[in-house]
Order: sequence, then C-alpha cells, then structure tokens
Amino acid sequence: MKTLGIDIGSLNIKAVVLGDDGILGTTIVPPGDEIEAGAHKAIEAALVEAGLSHNSLPVAATGTGAKFIPFIPQQKAITTCLARGIHYLFPSARMVIDMGAESTTVLKVNERGRIADWVNHDKCASGTGLFLQQMAKLMGITLEEMSSLSLQAHARADITNTCAVFAESEVISHVHRDPPTPKEDIVAGIYASIVSRTISLCKRVGITKDVAVTGGVALNDGLVNIMEQELGFKVLKPKSPQMVAALGAAIIAKETAEKGPK
Amino acid sequence: MTTIVHKSEVDLLIRTFRMMSRMNRARPEMRSSETLYYQMLAEYYSRIRNAREEGKLLAAHTVFFPTEMLYAMDIVPMHTEMTTWLTALFLREQAELLAKGAELGLAPEICSPHRGVAGIFGLNTIPHPDVILWSNLICDNTAKSGELMMELSRSPGFFLDNPFQNSPGEMRYLVDELKDMVHFLEEKSGKKMDWDKLAEMVVRDKQEIELYREISELRKAVPSPMSISGYLELLSADYMFPGQPEAIQYLTQLRDELKMMVKQGKGAVSSERFRLMTLFVPPMHLMSSLGRIFEEHGAVSVTEPLFTCWSEGELDPSRPLESVAMKSFLIPERRSMYGPLSEQALQDIIDSAQQYKIDGAIYWAFLGCRHTCATVKVIKEVLSEIDVPMLTIDCDIVDPTVNSEEEIRDKLTQFTEMLEEDR
Repeated sequence: MKTLGIDIGSLNIKAVVLGDDGILGTTIVPPGDEIEAGAHKAIEAALVEAGLSHNSLPVAATGTGAKFIPFIPQQKAITTCLARGIHYLFPSARMVIDMGAESTTVLKVNERGRIADWVNHDKCASGTGLFLQQMAKLMGITLEEMSSLSLQAHARADITNTCAVFAESEVISHVHRDPPTPKEDIVAGIYASIVSRTISLCKRVGITKDVAVTGGVALNDGLVNIMEQELGFKVLKPKSPQMVAALGAAIIAKETAEKGPK
Repeated sequence: MTTIVHKSEVDLLIRTFRMMSRMNRARPEMRSSETLYYQMLAEYYSRIRNAREEGKLLAAHTVFFPTEMLYAMDIVPMHTEMTTWLTALFLREQAELLAKGAELGLAPEICSPHRGVAGIFGLNTIPHPDVILWSNLICDNTAKSGELMMELSRSPGFFLDNPFQNSPGEMRYLVDELKDMVHFLEEKSGKKMDWDKLAEMVVRDKQEIELYREISELRKAVPSPMSISGYLELLSADYMFPGQPEAIQYLTQLRDELKMMVKQGKGAVSSERFRLMTLFVPPMHLMSSLGRIFEEHGAVSVTEPLFTCWSEGELDPSRPLESVAMKSFLIPERRSMYGPLSEQALQDIIDSAQQYKIDGAIYWAFLGCRHTCATVKVIKEVLSEIDVPMLTIDCDIVDPTVNSEEEIRDKLTQFTEMLEEDR
C-alpha cells in the first residue's frame, strides 16, 4: 500500500509518499501566499518523485497549517506524527527533540511509537528556526556557513537564552565590540544558548535514551554537535530531519486505511 | 475622604449579571442553577453599590477570608480577587486593570489577580471600602496585596494571621486572631457581633460543605454531568457566599440538576471520551472557549481535587468562632497552596484519579503562582505512578495576552490524541 503524509509548517510544506518498502518520494516547498495551493504543489511534487501520476492515495495531514487544508480530512497532531515517524526510522528512540521554525517540542516515545509524554516551548522565538534565520541574517552569513563556522569555534560567546530579541542585541554587541568576538565563537554561543534551553525542556519530561533530533534546526550539524557535548552522548539524526512529521502522517494514513472504514 | 469613581465597574457587573440571568431564563436548555448563580452575583454587587446609602460598612477582603463573620455583623463584603476574575471574564477590562497595576510598580511576574486588584483600587472603579481585611491565606501575594490596598484606599485595615498547621495550639491562636478581628470590626462599624447569626451561618456552612460533597459524588458518574463552567460557579459560591441562604439555594439546585442528569444518563458533553482531572484553575477569560474546546474533544473535567474537594472535619454551630477557624483548615485549596504540600494532598489526588476513573490530568500552571507551580513535578510523578498522564499548560488566569484559544485547543488535541493512542 502507498500512502501520503503532509506536514504544513510555518516555513515549509513537507510531503512524503510511503510504500511498503520504504519512502518513495519526498518534497519540501514554501507555503507561498495560499497554503492550500502550496499543499497541492507539495503533494504533486512528492508523487512525481515517487513515480506516481495521480493522487488517489490515503492521506493524512499535520502541522500548524493543517487546519487550512480542508481537502485532507484526516488531521493529526504534530506530536503524534513525530512519534510515529521517528519510531519508523529509529525504533530504539525513546525521546524526540523537534526543533521547528516556530517552536521546540520534546516528546517521549514508547516502544510502540506512541507518545508517552511531551512538552513544548512556544512562548519565545529563541531556539527556533526563525530565530536562527534571523541570527544568520544579522551576521551576514548563510545557515550552512553558520553550521560549519561553529565547528571551528575555540570558545562560546555568552548569549542569553531567555529572549530572542535580547539575544539579537547581544549578538550585535559581540559583532561590534573592539576587537569583535570571532564569528565562530558567536555562532557557537548562539547554538549553546539554544541547546541549554532545549535541554532544560528535555529535563522537564526526563531525558531518556535513545534521543533523536528532528525538525529543520537539526540540519545544523554544529548545533547538534554542541547538543551531543552537553548531553554527553550521541543523538540519532535522520537523513532528512525536517521530514519526520510528514512521514509519521503517511504512517498514520496507512494505519487508518488498513483498519478500513468505521 | 472623597474618592472620584471614574467608571463604575460594579454597575457594569450588575448589569451584565442581570442580563445573563434574563437570557438564561429565556432559554429553557440552560441550567436553572446557572440563572441563580447570575442572580446571586447581581445581588452581591448591588449590596456593594448600595452599602454606603444603606449605612453599612463596606469591607474589601482578600480570598479565603472568613466572610461569615462580616455577614453576621451586617457588614458588606467585597471579594477583591473575585472582582478581578469576574471583571476579566465578563467585562474583558483586565488589560486596563493590569496596566494600572504595572503603573503602580507591580512586576508582570506577580500574581495577575493581585495586580488586577491593585488596578481596581488604583483606577477607583469600585466603591471606596471603609475597611480592608486581608490574611496570609492563601499566599504571600495575598499578604502583601492587603498592604497595597490600604495604601491606595487610605482605609484602615486588619491583617488576619493564619497558622499553617491544624494543631490545638495553632487553633487557639487563630481563634484569638478572629476575636481581635471582631473587636476591630465592632469598633469600625459601631455594631456588635451577632453570635446567634454567626451560629446560623455555621449551620449553613455545614450544609454547603455537604452539598459540595454530594456534587462531587455525582460527578463520578459516567458520563459525568457537570461542565467546566460549573467549576467557576462552585468557586464563586464558596468564595463569595459562605454561610449564605442563596448559596444553599444555588448548590441545592445544581445538585438536583446533576442528580437528574445522572439518572437520565446525560453527560456534560454530548459524547464523553476523556475524563479529566483539573489541577489549579484554567484562564478565566477562556472559560467559555474551554466549554467549546472540551465539547469538540469529548473531554469533561470530572474533579478538581485541590479546589473543590473539602477535607474531612466537623463544624460545631454551638462554637461558632472555633468552627469558622476550623473551616479555614478544611478548605480544599489549602492543601496545595498554603504551607508544605502534604502527603495527604498527594494521596487525595491519587484517590480522586481512581475514584473518578480519570484518563488524564491538566495542570494549569499559573505563572504568577510560583508556590503552586513548584508542585507540578511532584504531582506529575505521583500521577505517573498510577499511569495517569498529566498535561501542563503554562498560563495566566487573568491576563489574556498569555494564552489564546487556539493554543489551548492545539494542546488539548495533542493530549487527547495521546490518551486515545494509549487505549
């Protein structure tokens, strides 16, 4: 059976086509002005990648914008989908740290790929993908450059982790002080502030190995590296960490289709 | 002293409650108890508005103050935190009150009802109180709030010191404190305490506690008959009308309605799927939204062990003062909010979880209430030991800028999906 999962995030729409032997196609598109049109575009692109010509697949949607695509009636919470997706990729994972564009969510997953507990940080942009984008822009570098720079850091600049706006002021002062703080140290400091906040969140539900990281922010190797240093162990990182929720949605679509109509 | 009342919050509240009561009467599907509740509130604020005209002393007081004593002396009580809550819920003017609180130097981290209380006094939106009565029950915010109210109103005040433990020595101390308060009020009002009237109120206090227990029992039914909005009503009846005939009437009506619903197998939501325990208090300004959100998810709050379940203990009308003192040790909130969190409080939570067959718990972690937030982890662990998941929602019970309806809906969706998957 082939199914489709779609994750409508605030920065990107992700779609996954899942077959019996694994993932057949994936795609990421920006939502554009019309979320519904963006969703159609993502689905079509994922189907093309999977070598399918038309969409009659069972489908489920998730993400902050899912409620704006009424043509997909089956909608699931992002946490449910992340749990399913990570269990599919790493059955040993018991904790997921999902760092998306607008929020960070930590969830504990049981041996069946179901959520045991979760907590999220959604009151401040610090530690989110949007925050990182802003910081990169401020320093005049790309997100990719930011990630590789941090691996060359000799120290970590002190950056607050309580407020994205204050963090921005601190970065500006590091850039403009005489002599300026080395860029790599500033980036490492930004990552460390995000990691510190994220690990506090993990502690609220209790850190349980294996730990996996997902979401677009997990694409930053430098950040994941600092997270591993602070946790004191290696984390599991999917090849496409931002696709895990869409994959979970595809798994749920499959489960529902297999159960048949109620 | 002359006070200019810029805008009568009290008049607006009276008008709103009368309108709600009229609207309810016109809609047969609404609970009669809810109509009574609004009538009670309208009457309460009418008494406040008319106090001066009727030559009665108006006493502004903080939460869990033994207002039976005021009613027994024909003094008109004005509950400061409830007035802020009700203003938030019904008049949506909390932003103005909180802004005034900020102007008076209260940091945003301080309990918002108390910032709102400061705002109410700072803006003169309530009648000027003749006396300020406050205590350390239930928290340090309460203890400090009274001082600020005295400063702002320039009214004389009395601080009632409540001990932590219910020991014979501490009970004697509290009774002495109450005697001092009676002297203070007799001096300020020129009226003597009517001990017979106080004894009658203790009789009604006993009836009220019994009715609360009956209502709690009825809520064990599957499906459970009381909606989340009933929670605020129960709190209001307890906080504002202790020992009052109208509270007995309201609670009796509510009990009878719930009894009928249980008999008919009717639940508070059309299709009960999740039985939830509520810990602390949800954002007041989102109460009506919560009703909708709970209905959408088939969720019902079946118990609030730390707020609506009274501790065991006897009141003796032949010893009214001692009974008023004893009652302060029985109030549900005391277990988690005042003094150390006892083993008994944790046991009560476990017992409630089992007796009410709950699927999950929601802890409304009110950011301004640091001492209760400190119990989140221990309560979560205790519930986890009996396989009851707990969702913690950081919130503010008055400030509308902290939580939105959508945020609460999303979190409840995630939580109920988790509960569903666990079945």
